[in-house]
Amino acid sequence: MAHLTKTYPIKARDYLKAGEVSMEIHGLMKKIGFDSDLIRRVSICAYEAEMNVVMHGGDGVLNVEIGSESINLNVKDSGPGIEDIGLAMQEGFSTATEEARQMGFGAGMGLPNIKKNSDRLEIISDKGMGTEVRVGFTV
Amino acid sequence: MSQEASSLHYVQIDEKRCVGCVLCMKACPTKAIRVRDLKVAQIVGTCVDCGECIRVCPHGAVRAITTRSDYLAPAPHMIISASPVLYSQFGQDVMPEEIQAAMHRTFEYVFDQTYFLDLYNVALEIYIKENRCREGAVKPLISPVCPVVNRLIAYRFPALLKNISPILTPREIAARELKRRIEKDDLLSSSDYGVYHITPCSAKMISIKNPMFLKTSYLDGAIGINDVFDSIKRNLPGPEEESMISPSNSLAIGWGISGGEIASMDEGNYLAVSGLPETIRYLEKIEMGLFSDIEYFEFRACLEGCIGGPLTVADRYEAKRTVTKISRMFFHDKRIRYAQAERAYKKGWFFSERRQGPVVHLVEKSGIIHAIERQEKIEKILSSLPGKACGFCGSPDCRSFAEDVADGNARLESCIMRRS
Ligand SMILES: Nc1ncnc2c1ncn2[C@@H]1O[C@H](COP(=O)(O)OP(=O)(O)O)[C@@H](O)[C@H]1O
Ligand SMILES: [Mg+2]
Repeated sequence: MAHLTKTYPIKARDYLKAGEVSMEIHGLMKKIGFDSDLIRRVSICAYEAEMNVVMHGGDGVLNVEIGSESINLNVKDSGPGIEDIGLAMQEGFSTATEEARQMGFGAGMGLPNIKKNSDRLEIISDKGMGTEVRVGFTV
Repeated sequence: MSQEASSLHYVQIDEKRCVGCVLCMKACPTKAIRVRDLKVAQIVGTCVDCGECIRVCPHGAVRAITTRSDYLAPAPHMIISASPVLYSQFGQDVMPEEIQAAMHRTFEYVFDQTYFLDLYNVALEIYIKENRCREGAVKPLISPVCPVVNRLIAYRFPALLKNISPILTPREIAARELKRRIEKDDLLSSSDYGVYHITPCSAKMISIKNPMFLKTSYLDGAIGINDVFDSIKRNLPGPEEESMISPSNSLAIGWGISGGEIASMDEGNYLAVSGLPETIRYLEKIEMGLFSDIEYFEFRACLEGCIGGPLTVADRYEAKRTVTKISRMFFHDKRIRYAQAERAYKKGWFFSERRQGPVVHLVEKSGIIHAIERQEKIEKILSSLPGKACGFCGSPDCRSFAEDVADGNARLESCIMRRS
Protein backbone atom coordinates (compact mmCIF):
# COMPACT_ATOMS: atom_id res chain seq x y z
CA MET A 1 0.00 0.00 0.00
CA ALA A 2 1.16 3.48 -0.76
CA HIS A 3 2.52 5.15 2.31
CA LEU A 4 4.10 8.49 3.03
CA THR A 5 5.76 9.18 6.35
CA LYS A 6 7.02 12.55 7.51
CA THR A 7 8.45 13.78 10.78
CA TYR A 8 8.47 17.39 11.92
CA PRO A 9 10.12 18.85 15.03
CA ILE A 10 8.03 21.10 17.29
CA LYS A 11 9.62 23.59 19.68
CA ALA A 12 7.97 24.30 23.02
CA ARG A 13 6.91 27.95 23.62
CA ASP A 14 7.75 28.96 20.03
CA TYR A 15 4.48 30.83 19.45
CA LEU A 16 5.81 32.50 16.32
CA LYS A 17 6.12 29.21 14.43
CA ALA A 18 3.21 27.51 16.17
CA GLY A 19 0.76 26.01 13.69
CA GLU A 20 3.21 25.67 10.83
CA VAL A 21 3.53 21.91 11.06
CA SER A 22 -0.22 21.40 10.82
CA MET A 23 -0.36 23.86 7.93
CA GLU A 24 2.22 21.74 6.11
CA ILE A 25 0.24 18.58 6.65
CA HIS A 26 -2.83 20.40 5.45
CA GLY A 27 -1.02 21.44 2.25
CA LEU A 28 0.39 17.97 1.69
CA MET A 29 -3.03 16.33 1.99
CA LYS A 30 -4.49 18.85 -0.40
CA LYS A 31 -1.82 18.10 -2.97
CA ILE A 32 -2.69 14.44 -2.76
CA GLY A 33 -6.35 15.23 -3.22
CA PHE A 34 -8.08 13.81 -0.15
CA ASP A 35 -11.67 14.67 0.56
CA SER A 36 -11.86 18.20 1.98
CA ASP A 37 -13.76 17.15 5.09
CA LEU A 38 -11.11 14.56 5.97
CA ILE A 39 -8.40 17.16 5.36
CA ARG A 40 -10.14 19.59 7.67
CA ARG A 41 -10.51 16.96 10.43
CA VAL A 42 -6.86 15.88 10.23
CA SER A 43 -5.68 19.50 10.14
CA ILE A 44 -7.70 20.47 13.21
CA CYS A 45 -6.35 17.51 15.19
CA ALA A 46 -2.78 18.16 14.06
CA TYR A 47 -3.18 21.82 14.96
CA GLU A 48 -4.55 21.15 18.45
CA ALA A 49 -1.89 18.53 19.19
CA GLU A 50 0.84 20.81 17.89
CA MET A 51 -0.42 23.73 19.96
CA ASN A 52 -0.51 21.58 23.07
CA VAL A 53 3.16 20.75 22.65
CA VAL A 54 3.96 24.44 22.16
CA MET A 55 1.84 25.53 25.13
CA HIS A 56 2.06 22.76 27.70
CA GLY A 57 4.69 20.25 26.57
CA GLY A 58 8.42 20.18 26.01
CA ASP A 59 10.27 19.97 22.67
CA GLY A 60 8.77 17.21 20.59
CA VAL A 61 8.05 15.71 17.19
CA LEU A 62 4.99 15.19 15.07
CA ASN A 63 5.02 12.12 12.91
CA VAL A 64 2.43 11.69 10.18
CA GLU A 65 1.69 8.56 8.18
CA ILE A 66 -0.40 9.19 5.12
CA GLY A 67 -1.86 6.13 3.44
CA SER A 68 -4.70 5.42 1.08
CA GLU A 69 -6.60 3.55 3.81
CA SER A 70 -5.70 5.47 6.96
CA ILE A 71 -3.93 8.51 8.28
CA ASN A 72 -2.10 8.47 11.60
CA LEU A 73 -0.67 11.30 13.66
CA ASN A 74 1.77 10.63 16.43
CA VAL A 75 2.72 13.64 18.53
CA LYS A 76 5.29 13.10 21.21
CA ASP A 77 6.92 15.55 23.60
CA SER A 78 9.28 15.47 26.53
CA GLY A 79 7.34 17.90 28.71
CA PRO A 80 5.78 17.61 32.18
CA GLY A 81 3.18 15.04 31.10
CA ILE A 82 -0.52 14.91 32.04
CA GLU A 83 -1.37 13.77 35.56
CA ASP A 84 -5.09 13.12 35.09
CA ILE A 85 -5.93 12.34 31.46
CA GLY A 86 -9.66 12.03 32.20
CA LEU A 87 -9.70 15.54 33.59
CA ALA A 88 -7.65 16.89 30.67
CA MET A 89 -10.19 15.43 28.26
CA GLN A 90 -13.03 17.43 29.82
CA GLU A 91 -14.34 20.39 27.84
CA GLY A 92 -13.09 23.64 29.27
CA PHE A 93 -10.37 22.17 31.47
CA SER A 94 -7.12 24.01 30.99
CA THR A 95 -3.91 24.71 32.83
CA ALA A 96 -2.84 27.30 30.24
CA THR A 97 -0.70 30.18 31.50
CA GLU A 98 -1.84 33.78 31.53
CA GLU A 99 0.57 34.43 28.63
CA ALA A 100 -1.09 31.78 26.47
CA ARG A 101 -4.59 32.98 27.36
CA GLN A 102 -3.72 36.51 26.33
CA MET A 103 -2.84 35.18 22.89
CA GLY A 104 -6.27 33.60 22.65
CA PHE A 105 -5.30 30.03 23.50
CA GLY A 106 -6.26 27.90 26.45
CA ALA A 107 -10.00 27.45 26.03
CA GLY A 108 -9.67 23.86 27.15
CA MET A 109 -11.25 22.59 23.93
CA GLY A 110 -8.16 21.13 22.26
CA LEU A 111 -8.27 17.51 23.38
CA PRO A 112 -12.10 17.31 23.19
CA ASN A 113 -11.81 18.69 19.63
CA ILE A 114 -9.33 16.00 18.70
CA LYS A 115 -11.68 13.39 20.13
CA LYS A 116 -14.59 14.80 18.16
CA ASN A 117 -12.76 15.03 14.84
CA SER A 118 -10.82 11.76 14.81
CA ASP A 119 -11.69 8.09 14.46
CA ARG A 120 -9.17 6.87 17.04
CA LEU A 121 -7.46 8.63 19.93
CA GLU A 122 -5.00 7.35 22.46
CA ILE A 123 -3.07 9.42 25.00
CA ILE A 124 -0.09 7.94 26.73
CA SER A 125 1.18 10.17 29.50
CA ASP A 126 1.87 10.55 33.17
CA LYS A 127 3.33 13.16 35.43
CA GLY A 128 7.00 13.62 34.59
CA MET A 129 7.10 11.19 31.67
CA GLY A 130 6.17 13.37 28.71
CA THR A 131 3.13 12.96 26.50
CA GLU A 132 2.34 10.92 23.43
CA VAL A 133 -0.88 11.56 21.52
CA ARG A 134 -1.88 9.08 18.80
CA VAL A 135 -4.67 10.11 16.48
CA GLY A 136 -6.05 7.91 13.72
CA PHE A 137 -8.38 8.47 10.77
CA THR A 138 -9.98 6.06 8.36
CA VAL A 139 -9.89 7.30 4.77
CA MET B 1 -13.09 25.92 -15.00
CA SER B 2 -12.06 24.07 -18.12
CA GLN B 3 -8.41 23.43 -18.84
CA GLU B 4 -8.60 25.84 -21.72
CA ALA B 5 -10.10 28.60 -19.60
CA SER B 6 -7.59 28.20 -16.81
CA SER B 7 -4.65 28.54 -19.19
CA LEU B 8 -6.01 31.74 -20.63
CA HIS B 9 -4.19 34.71 -19.13
CA TYR B 10 -4.13 38.44 -19.40
CA VAL B 11 -0.70 38.71 -17.82
CA GLN B 12 1.81 37.79 -20.50
CA ILE B 13 5.56 37.48 -20.89
CA ASP B 14 7.13 38.91 -24.02
CA GLU B 15 9.71 36.32 -25.06
CA LYS B 16 11.68 38.85 -27.06
CA ARG B 17 12.25 41.13 -24.09
CA CYS B 18 12.73 38.43 -21.45
CA VAL B 19 16.41 37.81 -20.69
CA GLY B 20 15.77 34.69 -18.62
CA CYS B 21 16.62 36.08 -15.20
CA VAL B 22 14.67 34.58 -12.31
CA LEU B 23 13.13 37.69 -10.74
CA CYS B 24 9.54 37.03 -11.82
CA MET B 25 9.82 33.34 -10.98
CA LYS B 26 10.99 34.24 -7.48
CA ALA B 27 8.26 36.84 -7.01
CA CYS B 28 5.38 34.66 -8.16
CA PRO B 29 3.22 33.92 -5.09
CA THR B 30 1.65 30.82 -6.65
CA LYS B 31 4.96 29.49 -8.05
CA ALA B 32 3.51 29.43 -11.55
CA ILE B 33 6.62 30.57 -13.47
CA ARG B 34 9.56 28.50 -14.69
CA VAL B 35 12.72 29.61 -16.51
CA ARG B 36 13.92 26.36 -18.04
CA ASP B 37 17.63 26.46 -18.95
CA LEU B 38 17.50 30.09 -17.88
CA LYS B 39 16.34 30.97 -21.38
CA VAL B 40 12.92 32.51 -21.11
CA ALA B 41 10.32 32.79 -18.37
CA GLN B 42 7.12 30.87 -18.95
CA ILE B 43 3.85 30.75 -17.08
CA VAL B 44 3.20 27.05 -16.55
CA GLY B 45 1.12 26.68 -13.41
CA THR B 46 -1.89 28.22 -11.79
CA CYS B 47 -1.39 31.88 -12.59
CA VAL B 48 -3.93 34.07 -10.78
CA ASP B 49 -3.16 37.24 -12.77
CA CYS B 50 -1.91 39.07 -9.64
CA GLY B 51 0.74 40.99 -11.55
CA GLU B 52 3.62 40.61 -9.07
CA CYS B 53 5.78 39.65 -12.07
CA ILE B 54 4.87 42.91 -13.80
CA ARG B 55 6.21 44.87 -10.83
CA VAL B 56 9.56 43.10 -10.57
CA CYS B 57 10.56 42.69 -14.22
CA PRO B 58 13.39 45.17 -14.90
CA HIS B 59 13.06 44.70 -18.67
CA GLY B 60 9.39 45.50 -19.09
CA ALA B 61 8.88 42.01 -20.46
CA VAL B 62 5.74 41.26 -18.48
CA ARG B 63 2.57 43.11 -19.38
CA ALA B 64 -1.05 43.08 -18.41
CA ILE B 65 -3.24 42.77 -21.48
CA THR B 66 -5.93 45.43 -21.20
CA THR B 67 -8.41 46.96 -23.63
CA ARG B 68 -5.73 49.41 -24.72
CA SER B 69 -3.33 46.65 -25.66
CA ASP B 70 -6.07 44.24 -26.67
CA TYR B 71 -6.14 43.34 -30.33
CA LEU B 72 -9.90 43.82 -30.20
CA ALA B 73 -10.64 47.48 -30.82
CA PRO B 74 -13.02 48.94 -28.23
CA ALA B 75 -16.51 49.93 -29.29
CA PRO B 76 -16.93 53.31 -31.05
CA HIS B 77 -18.34 54.88 -27.90
CA MET B 78 -16.62 54.20 -24.62
CA ILE B 79 -18.59 54.50 -21.41
CA ILE B 80 -16.07 54.90 -18.62
CA SER B 81 -16.55 53.80 -15.06
CA ALA B 82 -13.47 54.44 -12.98
CA SER B 83 -12.20 52.73 -9.87
CA PRO B 84 -12.06 55.12 -6.89
CA VAL B 85 -8.35 54.30 -6.75
CA LEU B 86 -7.99 56.91 -9.49
CA TYR B 87 -8.59 59.61 -6.82
CA SER B 88 -5.43 58.52 -5.02
CA GLN B 89 -3.10 58.90 -7.96
CA PHE B 90 -2.57 62.62 -8.44
CA GLY B 91 -1.27 63.59 -5.02
CA GLN B 92 -2.93 65.21 -2.03
CA ASP B 93 -3.46 68.60 -3.67
CA VAL B 94 -5.65 67.37 -6.50
CA MET B 95 -9.31 67.05 -5.48
CA PRO B 96 -11.68 64.34 -6.72
CA GLU B 97 -13.86 66.93 -8.48
CA GLU B 98 -10.83 68.11 -10.45
CA ILE B 99 -10.08 64.56 -11.48
CA GLN B 100 -13.72 64.12 -12.46
CA ALA B 101 -13.56 67.27 -14.54
CA ALA B 102 -10.44 65.98 -16.29
CA MET B 103 -12.14 62.65 -16.91
CA HIS B 104 -15.07 64.41 -18.59
CA ARG B 105 -12.64 66.23 -20.85
CA THR B 106 -10.79 63.04 -21.70
CA PHE B 107 -13.66 60.67 -22.35
CA GLU B 108 -17.06 60.95 -23.94
CA TYR B 109 -19.12 59.39 -21.13
CA VAL B 110 -17.84 59.12 -17.57
CA PHE B 111 -19.53 57.82 -14.43
CA ASP B 112 -18.44 57.96 -10.84
CA GLN B 113 -18.82 54.78 -8.81
CA THR B 114 -19.72 56.33 -5.45
CA TYR B 115 -23.43 55.61 -5.69
CA PHE B 116 -22.83 51.96 -6.55
CA LEU B 117 -20.26 51.50 -3.80
CA ASP B 118 -22.83 52.79 -1.32
CA LEU B 119 -25.48 50.45 -2.69
CA TYR B 120 -23.08 47.53 -2.53
CA ASN B 121 -22.29 48.26 1.09
CA VAL B 122 -25.97 48.25 2.04
CA ALA B 123 -26.48 44.92 0.28
CA LEU B 124 -23.42 43.49 1.97
CA GLU B 125 -24.67 44.58 5.40
CA ILE B 126 -28.05 42.95 4.78
CA TYR B 127 -26.48 39.76 3.46
CA ILE B 128 -24.17 39.39 6.47
CA LYS B 129 -27.04 40.11 8.85
CA GLU B 130 -29.14 37.42 7.15
CA ASN B 131 -26.22 35.02 7.25
CA ARG B 132 -26.16 35.30 11.04
CA CYS B 133 -29.48 33.56 11.38
CA ARG B 134 -29.34 31.40 8.26
CA GLU B 135 -29.49 27.70 9.00
CA GLY B 136 -26.21 25.98 8.11
CA ALA B 137 -24.68 29.31 7.04
CA VAL B 138 -21.12 29.28 5.74
CA LYS B 139 -18.64 31.07 7.94
CA PRO B 140 -16.62 33.09 7.40
CA LEU B 141 -17.91 34.84 4.28
CA ILE B 142 -15.29 36.08 1.85
CA SER B 143 -15.45 39.26 -0.22
CA PRO B 144 -16.05 38.68 -3.96
CA VAL B 145 -14.37 41.94 -4.98
CA CYS B 146 -10.75 40.92 -5.67
CA PRO B 147 -10.53 38.81 -8.85
CA VAL B 148 -7.07 37.54 -7.90
CA VAL B 149 -8.35 36.21 -4.59
CA ASN B 150 -11.30 34.57 -6.36
CA ARG B 151 -8.92 32.74 -8.68
CA LEU B 152 -6.58 31.83 -5.88
CA ILE B 153 -9.50 30.24 -4.04
CA ALA B 154 -10.66 28.37 -7.15
CA TYR B 155 -7.23 26.87 -7.80
CA ARG B 156 -5.79 26.37 -4.34
CA PHE B 157 -8.68 26.49 -1.87
CA PRO B 158 -11.68 25.10 -3.77
CA ALA B 159 -13.30 24.03 -0.51
CA LEU B 160 -13.77 27.76 0.21
CA LEU B 161 -15.56 28.64 -3.04
CA LYS B 162 -18.84 28.38 -1.18
CA ASN B 163 -17.66 31.07 1.26
CA ILE B 164 -17.41 33.76 -1.40
CA SER B 165 -20.32 36.18 -1.03
CA PRO B 166 -22.73 35.99 -4.00
CA ILE B 167 -23.40 39.73 -4.12
CA LEU B 168 -22.50 41.38 -7.42
CA THR B 169 -19.36 43.49 -7.17
CA PRO B 170 -19.78 47.29 -7.33
CA ARG B 171 -18.07 47.43 -10.74
CA GLU B 172 -20.55 44.93 -12.16
CA ILE B 173 -23.58 46.59 -10.54
CA ALA B 174 -22.41 49.90 -11.98
CA ALA B 175 -21.88 48.52 -15.49
CA ARG B 176 -25.26 46.78 -15.54
CA GLU B 177 -27.05 49.91 -14.37
CA LEU B 178 -25.25 52.18 -16.84
CA LYS B 179 -26.22 49.86 -19.69
CA ARG B 180 -29.81 49.71 -18.50
CA ARG B 181 -30.08 53.50 -18.44
CA ILE B 182 -28.48 53.97 -21.82
CA GLU B 183 -30.88 51.47 -23.33
CA LYS B 184 -33.89 52.93 -21.55
CA ASP B 185 -33.16 56.46 -22.77
CA ASP B 186 -32.18 55.12 -26.19
CA LEU B 187 -28.90 57.04 -26.02
CA LEU B 188 -26.81 54.65 -28.09
CA SER B 189 -27.51 51.43 -29.91
CA SER B 190 -26.06 48.42 -28.15
CA SER B 191 -23.54 47.54 -30.85
CA ASP B 192 -22.12 51.04 -30.68
CA TYR B 193 -20.82 51.23 -27.17
CA GLY B 194 -19.08 49.37 -24.40
CA VAL B 195 -18.58 49.99 -20.70
CA TYR B 196 -14.92 50.06 -19.70
CA HIS B 197 -13.44 50.04 -16.27
CA ILE B 198 -10.39 52.16 -15.45
CA THR B 199 -8.54 50.03 -12.98
CA PRO B 200 -5.37 49.51 -10.93
CA CYS B 201 -5.75 45.75 -11.35
CA SER B 202 -4.06 43.32 -13.73
CA ALA B 203 -6.74 40.69 -13.15
CA LYS B 204 -9.72 42.87 -14.09
CA MET B 205 -9.42 41.84 -17.71
CA ILE B 206 -9.66 38.12 -17.02
CA SER B 207 -12.55 38.72 -14.64
CA ILE B 208 -14.36 40.45 -17.50
CA LYS B 209 -13.44 38.12 -20.36
CA ASN B 210 -13.67 34.93 -18.36
CA PRO B 211 -15.76 35.57 -15.23
CA MET B 212 -15.79 32.94 -12.54
CA PHE B 213 -19.34 33.18 -11.28
CA LEU B 214 -21.26 35.36 -13.72
CA LYS B 215 -22.60 34.04 -17.02
CA THR B 216 -21.09 37.09 -18.66
CA SER B 217 -19.60 40.26 -17.27
CA TYR B 218 -21.56 43.49 -17.69
CA LEU B 219 -18.26 45.20 -18.44
CA ASP B 220 -16.71 45.13 -21.89
CA GLY B 221 -13.11 45.80 -21.03
CA ALA B 222 -10.57 47.19 -18.61
CA ILE B 223 -8.02 49.96 -19.00
CA GLY B 224 -5.04 50.37 -16.69
CA ILE B 225 -4.78 53.60 -14.74
CA ASN B 226 -1.19 53.77 -16.01
CA ASP B 227 -2.49 53.74 -19.59
CA VAL B 228 -4.60 56.89 -19.19
CA PHE B 229 -2.80 58.72 -16.40
CA ASP B 230 -0.99 61.17 -18.67
CA SER B 231 -4.10 62.07 -20.68
CA ILE B 232 -6.08 62.72 -17.52
CA LYS B 233 -3.28 64.70 -15.95
CA ARG B 234 -3.03 66.92 -19.03
CA ASN B 235 -6.73 67.67 -18.72
CA LEU B 236 -6.76 68.61 -15.04
CA PRO B 237 -8.31 72.07 -14.55
CA GLY B 238 -5.97 74.97 -13.88
CA PRO B 239 -5.85 76.71 -10.47
CA GLU B 240 -8.25 79.50 -11.44
CA GLU B 241 -10.84 77.19 -12.98
CA GLU B 242 -13.89 76.36 -10.90
CA SER B 243 -14.77 72.64 -10.65
CA MET B 244 -18.11 71.05 -10.01
CA ILE B 245 -18.78 69.91 -6.47
CA SER B 246 -18.10 66.21 -6.34
CA PRO B 247 -20.96 63.90 -5.37
CA SER B 248 -18.46 61.56 -3.73
CA ASN B 249 -18.18 60.66 -0.06
CA SER B 250 -15.32 59.59 2.16
CA LEU B 251 -16.29 55.93 2.03
CA ALA B 252 -16.05 55.82 -1.74
CA ILE B 253 -12.79 57.73 -1.82
CA GLY B 254 -11.28 55.38 0.74
CA TRP B 255 -12.68 52.21 -0.86
CA GLY B 256 -9.43 51.32 -2.55
CA ILE B 257 -7.42 51.08 0.68
CA SER B 258 -7.28 47.79 2.54
CA GLY B 259 -10.26 47.91 4.90
CA GLY B 260 -12.24 50.26 2.65
CA GLU B 261 -14.94 47.75 1.86
CA ILE B 262 -15.72 47.04 5.50
CA ALA B 263 -15.14 50.58 6.77
CA SER B 264 -18.82 51.47 6.84
CA MET B 265 -19.93 48.42 8.79
CA ASP B 266 -19.78 49.03 12.49
CA GLU B 267 -21.27 46.06 14.26
CA GLY B 268 -19.91 42.59 13.68
CA ASN B 269 -16.61 40.82 13.45
CA TYR B 270 -14.85 41.68 10.18
CA LEU B 271 -11.24 41.53 9.11
CA ALA B 272 -9.35 43.09 6.20
CA VAL B 273 -6.21 41.35 4.99
CA SER B 274 -4.00 42.52 2.14
CA GLY B 275 -1.06 41.12 0.20
CA LEU B 276 -1.03 37.74 -1.47
CA PRO B 277 1.35 35.90 0.90
CA GLU B 278 -0.73 36.93 3.93
CA THR B 279 -3.95 36.17 2.08
CA ILE B 280 -2.69 32.66 1.32
CA ARG B 281 -1.81 32.11 4.98
CA TYR B 282 -5.24 33.23 6.09
CA LEU B 283 -7.04 31.11 3.50
CA GLU B 284 -5.00 28.15 4.65
CA LYS B 285 -6.13 28.76 8.21
CA ILE B 286 -9.75 29.33 7.23
CA GLU B 287 -9.69 26.04 5.36
CA MET B 288 -8.32 24.39 8.48
CA GLY B 289 -11.38 25.69 10.33
CA LEU B 290 -9.53 28.18 12.51
CA PHE B 291 -11.56 31.34 11.89
CA SER B 292 -15.14 30.43 12.65
CA ASP B 293 -15.54 33.53 14.84
CA ILE B 294 -14.97 35.98 11.98
CA GLU B 295 -18.00 36.79 9.84
CA TYR B 296 -16.47 38.44 6.83
CA PHE B 297 -13.03 38.67 5.31
CA GLU B 298 -12.04 41.43 2.94
CA PHE B 299 -9.06 40.00 1.07
CA ARG B 300 -7.04 42.07 -1.37
CA ALA B 301 -4.17 40.47 -3.27
CA CYS B 302 -2.28 43.75 -3.43
CA LEU B 303 -0.48 45.00 -0.35
CA GLU B 304 -2.41 47.91 1.25
CA GLY B 305 -5.36 47.16 -1.05
CA CYS B 306 -6.24 48.20 -4.60
CA ILE B 307 -4.26 51.45 -4.25
CA GLY B 308 -1.23 49.15 -4.47
CA GLY B 309 -2.40 47.61 -7.75
CA PRO B 310 0.19 46.82 -10.44
CA LEU B 311 -1.43 49.20 -12.96
CA THR B 312 -1.21 52.29 -10.75
CA VAL B 313 1.19 55.20 -11.16
CA ALA B 314 1.56 56.61 -7.64
CA ASP B 315 3.50 54.80 -4.92
CA ARG B 316 1.10 52.81 -2.72
CA TYR B 317 2.02 54.64 0.48
CA GLU B 318 1.72 58.06 -1.10
CA ALA B 319 -1.61 56.99 -2.57
CA LYS B 320 -2.72 55.91 0.88
CA ARG B 321 -1.76 59.27 2.37
CA THR B 322 -3.60 61.08 -0.43
CA VAL B 323 -6.76 59.08 0.15
CA THR B 324 -6.64 59.41 3.93
CA LYS B 325 -6.17 63.14 3.68
CA ILE B 326 -8.76 63.83 0.99
CA SER B 327 -11.43 61.56 2.39
CA ARG B 328 -11.47 63.65 5.58
CA MET B 329 -12.80 66.57 3.55
CA PHE B 330 -15.87 64.63 2.50
CA PHE B 331 -19.07 63.54 4.14
CA HIS B 332 -18.91 60.21 5.81
CA ASP B 333 -22.55 59.25 5.27
CA LYS B 334 -23.86 57.21 2.42
CA ARG B 335 -25.93 59.29 0.02
CA ILE B 336 -28.56 56.71 -0.72
CA ARG B 337 -31.86 55.88 0.88
CA TYR B 338 -31.50 52.76 2.92
CA ALA B 339 -35.13 51.67 2.49
CA GLN B 340 -34.86 51.96 -1.27
CA ALA B 341 -31.68 49.89 -1.36
CA GLU B 342 -33.30 47.35 0.91
CA ARG B 343 -36.26 47.03 -1.47
CA ALA B 344 -33.87 46.51 -4.36
CA TYR B 345 -32.09 43.85 -2.35
CA LYS B 346 -35.34 42.01 -1.71
CA LYS B 347 -36.11 42.08 -5.42
CA GLY B 348 -32.80 40.37 -6.13
CA TRP B 349 -31.20 43.43 -7.68
CA PHE B 350 -27.79 42.66 -6.19
CA PHE B 351 -27.66 39.14 -7.48
CA SER B 352 -27.27 37.81 -10.95
CA GLU B 353 -27.67 34.56 -12.75
CA ARG B 354 -24.56 32.59 -11.89
CA ARG B 355 -22.92 30.05 -14.03
CA GLN B 356 -21.81 26.75 -12.62
CA GLY B 357 -18.66 27.92 -10.90
CA PRO B 358 -15.36 26.09 -10.93
CA VAL B 359 -15.99 22.43 -10.16
CA VAL B 360 -14.27 20.63 -7.33
CA HIS B 361 -13.16 17.26 -8.65
CA LEU B 362 -13.30 14.28 -6.35
CA VAL B 363 -10.23 12.09 -6.57
CA GLU B 364 -10.78 8.35 -6.93
CA LYS B 365 -9.08 5.91 -4.62
CA SER B 366 -6.66 4.82 -7.36
CA GLY B 367 -5.90 8.49 -7.88
CA ILE B 368 -5.13 8.87 -4.18
CA ILE B 369 -2.72 5.93 -4.26
CA HIS B 370 -1.04 7.39 -7.30
CA ALA B 371 -0.80 10.82 -5.67
CA ILE B 372 0.71 9.39 -2.48
CA GLU B 373 3.31 7.58 -4.57
CA ARG B 374 4.05 10.81 -6.37
CA GLN B 375 4.53 12.62 -3.04
CA GLU B 376 6.88 9.85 -1.86
CA LYS B 377 8.91 10.32 -5.01
CA ILE B 378 8.95 14.08 -4.47
CA GLU B 379 10.13 13.71 -0.86
CA LYS B 380 12.90 11.39 -1.98
CA ILE B 381 14.09 13.79 -4.67
CA LEU B 382 13.80 16.67 -2.23
CA SER B 383 16.08 14.97 0.27
CA SER B 384 18.87 14.99 -2.33
CA LEU B 385 18.49 18.70 -3.02
CA PRO B 386 20.41 21.45 -1.20
CA GLY B 387 17.41 23.52 -0.09
CA LYS B 388 19.10 26.74 -1.20
CA ALA B 389 16.26 27.91 -3.45
CA CYS B 390 18.84 29.41 -5.82
CA GLY B 391 16.60 29.16 -8.87
CA PHE B 392 19.41 28.06 -11.15
CA CYS B 393 17.48 24.94 -12.16
CA GLY B 394 14.67 27.10 -13.49
CA SER B 395 12.20 26.30 -10.69
CA PRO B 396 11.45 28.76 -7.88
CA ASP B 397 12.54 26.53 -4.98
CA CYS B 398 13.70 22.98 -4.29
CA ARG B 399 10.23 21.60 -3.58
CA SER B 400 8.85 22.95 -6.87
CA PHE B 401 11.88 21.52 -8.64
CA ALA B 402 11.34 18.11 -7.02
CA GLU B 403 7.72 18.23 -8.19
CA ASP B 404 8.80 19.18 -11.69
CA VAL B 405 11.28 16.29 -11.81
CA ALA B 406 8.73 13.83 -10.46
CA ASP B 407 6.28 14.93 -13.14
CA GLY B 408 8.89 14.65 -15.89
CA ASN B 409 8.98 18.40 -16.52
CA ALA B 410 12.58 18.93 -15.42
CA ARG B 411 15.78 16.89 -15.30
CA LEU B 412 17.47 16.20 -11.99
CA GLU B 413 20.81 17.12 -13.60
CA SER B 414 19.63 20.73 -13.87
CA CYS B 415 20.44 21.10 -10.16
CA ILE B 416 24.07 22.11 -9.93
CA MET B 417 24.25 21.75 -6.15
CA ARG B 418 22.73 18.32 -5.80
CA ARG B 419 24.15 16.06 -3.12
CA SER B 420 25.11 12.84 -4.85
N1 LIG C 1 1.38 17.88 25.48
C1 LIG C 1 0.92 18.16 26.70
N2 LIG C 1 1.77 18.22 27.76
C2 LIG C 1 1.33 18.51 28.99
N3 LIG C 1 0.04 18.77 29.27
C3 LIG C 1 -0.87 18.74 28.29
C4 LIG C 1 -0.47 18.44 26.96
N4 LIG C 1 -1.58 18.45 26.18
C5 LIG C 1 -2.61 18.76 26.99
N5 LIG C 1 -2.20 18.93 28.26
C6 LIG C 1 -3.03 19.25 29.43
O1 LIG C 1 -4.40 19.04 29.09
C7 LIG C 1 -5.12 20.23 29.28
C8 LIG C 1 -6.26 20.32 28.30
O2 LIG C 1 -5.76 20.43 26.98
P1 LIG C 1 -6.67 21.05 25.85
O3 LIG C 1 -7.97 20.33 25.86
O4 LIG C 1 -5.91 21.06 24.58
O5 LIG C 1 -6.94 22.53 26.35
P2 LIG C 1 -5.97 23.79 26.37
O6 LIG C 1 -4.79 23.49 25.51
O7 LIG C 1 -6.80 24.90 25.87
O8 LIG C 1 -5.56 23.98 27.80
C9 LIG C 1 -4.11 21.32 29.15
O9 LIG C 1 -4.49 22.52 29.80
C10 LIG C 1 -2.91 20.70 29.84
O10 LIG C 1 -3.01 20.76 31.24
MG1 LIG D 1 -4.94 22.76 23.61
